[in-house]
Amino acid sequence: MDNTTRYERLRDRYRNGDISRRKFFGLIGAAGAAYGLQTPFAKYAMAQDVKQVRFDGWGGVVSEAFRKHAFDPFTAKTGITVVDGTFPGGDEYLAQVRASQPGEYNIAHLSGVFDYARYHNFDLTSELNLDNIPNMANVMPALINAFHAVTPDSLSAAPYDYGSTGLAYNRKYISDDEAKEKGAMLLIDDAYKGKIGGWSDWRTRVWYGALQTGQDPNDIQDIEAVWDAVRKHRDLALKYWASGAELMSLLAEEEIYVTEAWSGRVYALQEQGHDIGYYDPPKGFGWQECLFVIKGSPMEACEELLNFMLDKETSIAVAEGQNYPPALDPTKVDLGKKIPTLPAFDPTGTLAGLTFANPEYWNGHEADWSETFSRVQRGY
Amino acid sequence: MGEGRGWGWSVIRAYTVLVYLFMFLPVAVVVLLSFNASQFGAFPMTGFSFRWFQALWENDAIVRAFRTSIALGLMTALVSTTLGVLAALALVRYNVPGRDMITTLLIAPILVPEVVLAVALLLFLNFLNINKSFGLLLMGHVIFTLPFVILVVQARLVSIRKDVEEAAQSLGATPRQTFFAVTLPLLMPAVAAGALFAFTISFDDITGTLFWKPGGVETVPTQIFSMLRNSISPEINALGTVMIVMTVGLPVIGAGIARLLARRRGA
Amino acid sequence: MSIEARERRQPWILLSPALTAVVLLLIVPLLFIVVYSFWLRSATGADTAGFYLDNWKKVLSDRFYRDILFSTLRIAAITTAACALLGYPAAYFIARSRGNKLILLVLLMLPFWISYIIRTMSWINILGTSGALNSLLLMLGVISEPIQMLYNETTVILGLVHFLLPFMVLNIYVSLEGIDTNLEDAANSLGATRWQSFLQVTLPLSLPGLAAGGLLCFVLGAGTYITPVILGGPRDAMFANLVFEAIIRQLNWPLGSALSLLLLAVLGALVLIYNRYLGMSQLAKGLG
Repeated sequence: MDNTTRYERLRDRYRNGDISRRKFFGLIGAAGAAYGLQTPFAKYAMAQDVKQVRFDGWGGVVSEAFRKHAFDPFTAKTGITVVDGTFPGGDEYLAQVRASQPGEYNIAHLSGVFDYARYHNFDLTSELNLDNIPNMANVMPALINAFHAVTPDSLSAAPYDYGSTGLAYNRKYISDDEAKEKGAMLLIDDAYKGKIGGWSDWRTRVWYGALQTGQDPNDIQDIEAVWDAVRKHRDLALKYWASGAELMSLLAEEEIYVTEAWSGRVYALQEQGHDIGYYDPPKGFGWQECLFVIKGSPMEACEELLNFMLDKETSIAVAEGQNYPPALDPTKVDLGKKIPTLPAFDPTGTLAGLTFANPEYWNGHEADWSETFSRVQRGY
Repeated sequence: MGEGRGWGWSVIRAYTVLVYLFMFLPVAVVVLLSFNASQFGAFPMTGFSFRWFQALWENDAIVRAFRTSIALGLMTALVSTTLGVLAALALVRYNVPGRDMITTLLIAPILVPEVVLAVALLLFLNFLNINKSFGLLLMGHVIFTLPFVILVVQARLVSIRKDVEEAAQSLGATPRQTFFAVTLPLLMPAVAAGALFAFTISFDDITGTLFWKPGGVETVPTQIFSMLRNSISPEINALGTVMIVMTVGLPVIGAGIARLLARRRGA
Repeated sequence: MSIEARERRQPWILLSPALTAVVLLLIVPLLFIVVYSFWLRSATGADTAGFYLDNWKKVLSDRFYRDILFSTLRIAAITTAACALLGYPAAYFIARSRGNKLILLVLLMLPFWISYIIRTMSWINILGTSGALNSLLLMLGVISEPIQMLYNETTVILGLVHFLLPFMVLNIYVSLEGIDTNLEDAANSLGATRWQSFLQVTLPLSLPGLAAGGLLCFVLGAGTYITPVILGGPRDAMFANLVFEAIIRQLNWPLGSALSLLLLAVLGALVLIYNRYLGMSQLAKGLG
């Protein structure tokens, strides 16, 4: 093509230039409109009366069970829609709530007593009117009392489920007897160097460090000895896992033979036919989860929703999905066939067999220990 | 095809094949495991099954998240590419005072750890009393895909010779006409690459999306992330397989049909 | 209005949408982070507002942060070099191939269709003790015991290279595609070997793409936190992990703010150097 024809072609295309230009400005207009959808005034239109409640929790089976057994019936009865969000962890969620406006987040499925105390410290607790939550009568008193230790005169949450963080081991390589005999020491046993795992959570690491040095996790006298045990575990461990999904695949694929583990996850592995043993050593780590109502939420709607969620059918469906027993008192409510077989399940309804973290003690050391762990983990 | 290009070309070709194999390894694993009968896939596989595909088909939440991700990715690509091309044009073609500073400023969104950007933006919105919305999520994605577009478009723009544009202008075209008739067509590979970047990064983003998403909105990555505590369902592997079959399969089928039609016309 | 005035105004009109977005959604929010970095975290509960230099003293004087910053920059540099070595020939092949370039490019982006977490975790199925590679080597009789390949710095780099390589290839491809192949032919006809004409014509002309790709890989590599969590051992961490832990796990926003501003300053300085010596203004002048 010579230059003359090339330029002639260009000139032809100029004539179409107007169309392209219009298209182009159309695109910019669309972008502006998309941004404009969000106006500062939108929220005032919504704040008139309660049309929706926001619930945040874990995804997958848990949110599916809530949707089916609690949210949809709740909406059918009250006309209030439940907007559900998900989070990958309580820490991420707290960061979001701290950076939000009052009323934006309403109910959350949180890790029990620490979070309860942490939210209380950030002045995010509300006061539930228990008259509106008759199903609360079926909840084990032991779980409710743990919250009263933080807020003696009121409740901001309903207990929902519980479990333990015990020892999981591959039965091919480690016998039940060996696990019972060695207990927490199994995690710092040189014989399994490179085949040991652990949760990358500072509380769990310090808790097991205390057990390995013969101390009471709720009253540690020699924290330096605990850090040395944490260092020893770090050097023997192949991997710190950060999620249940990772924990399960590490155990199932035999990357590691022993780790501490969440009871429900080990049960799920056993259900799928993997030969994994589970043992709660003396003073093993028990925990509970709750449905927490955040300050600034529409209380009556939230209370009614909590009542729906504490309903026997919903509780059992969620429990069977995530393999953690519900907070309902087994001496008052028939929990069906599967739940009594779950690890950490307590048929007496007293939970005397589990050791829970003292929230005041642990939250008091949180700032110091969480930062120290971050250094210890990296070899300092 | 290699003929006349010498052995050097064959070496490059073999090398490229190896690079592609490296890129495909995890993809192959995910595709294989989506047909695995049991949830945890160690090799050799224990059995062959379509159960995860069936589960995927029935899982509204994942399908909805997938649609959200696609829509968000397309919008991000559109806005981000438009803004990026304009900015790159100004920076390369005009003598802007303080160009180095402006370029750094525009690249800054990928210099800040995403978690910080996420929290900072939330604090700012809180200060302004603005609620989260899909529009905000979109703007967040635009912000951190913009540097990719600007970098790739700039690199291309530098190598487009100015004299072509000047020739057009000497024939009386306005700068705007010159842009649409001359510069933009020559810029197309970079615009396409930039849009592809913006789409894939938006599609794959976790941290920012996690913090900015309004209630009830889930993208595929946040959906997966929230499943991590319990266990990631192999339905996610099945979703990956479906998407790969779509992206690889459709162009191949299209090319096949085109060839078939051409042959028929030729015969 | 004079033509000159319009000429002066024009670039600002073009820049204004992008600049507005970046200033509103990045720079202003970052000012909040700057303010936060001078606050103090109290043991429990809300932060103490004020002007304290404690966080900055800690961040700048503590060896822990310095060591991890340097190791982060080292890992990012190795990753970038590996991406360049793997990516350049591949980009060259795509740019010069007579096949369907679009399909080759789309194939390159294929792994992005599988969510980042899933594809990073799938290395466990490849490199793990019961993974594909060990199974293959056992079957072939090369080894008698599975080798432990996972969870060290090398696997972190491997994961990063896999994540970042497409960015490198696409950037190089775009600039190679802009080079007139007649230039190479001209050099050849003047008696240069293919290798010489590549070194003296093609490579210098493709440097903008290589530099842009390198910058992207380095910066993104240095800001990663998920890859070390999934593919690293207990000790492996990069600077962004410390930021994430400070802000999310320890709820220490003031310290996290100071840490992230430090990382921003280091990477920002790198970008300024890039702009001055490798970047667009320099190249634009050279090609004028």
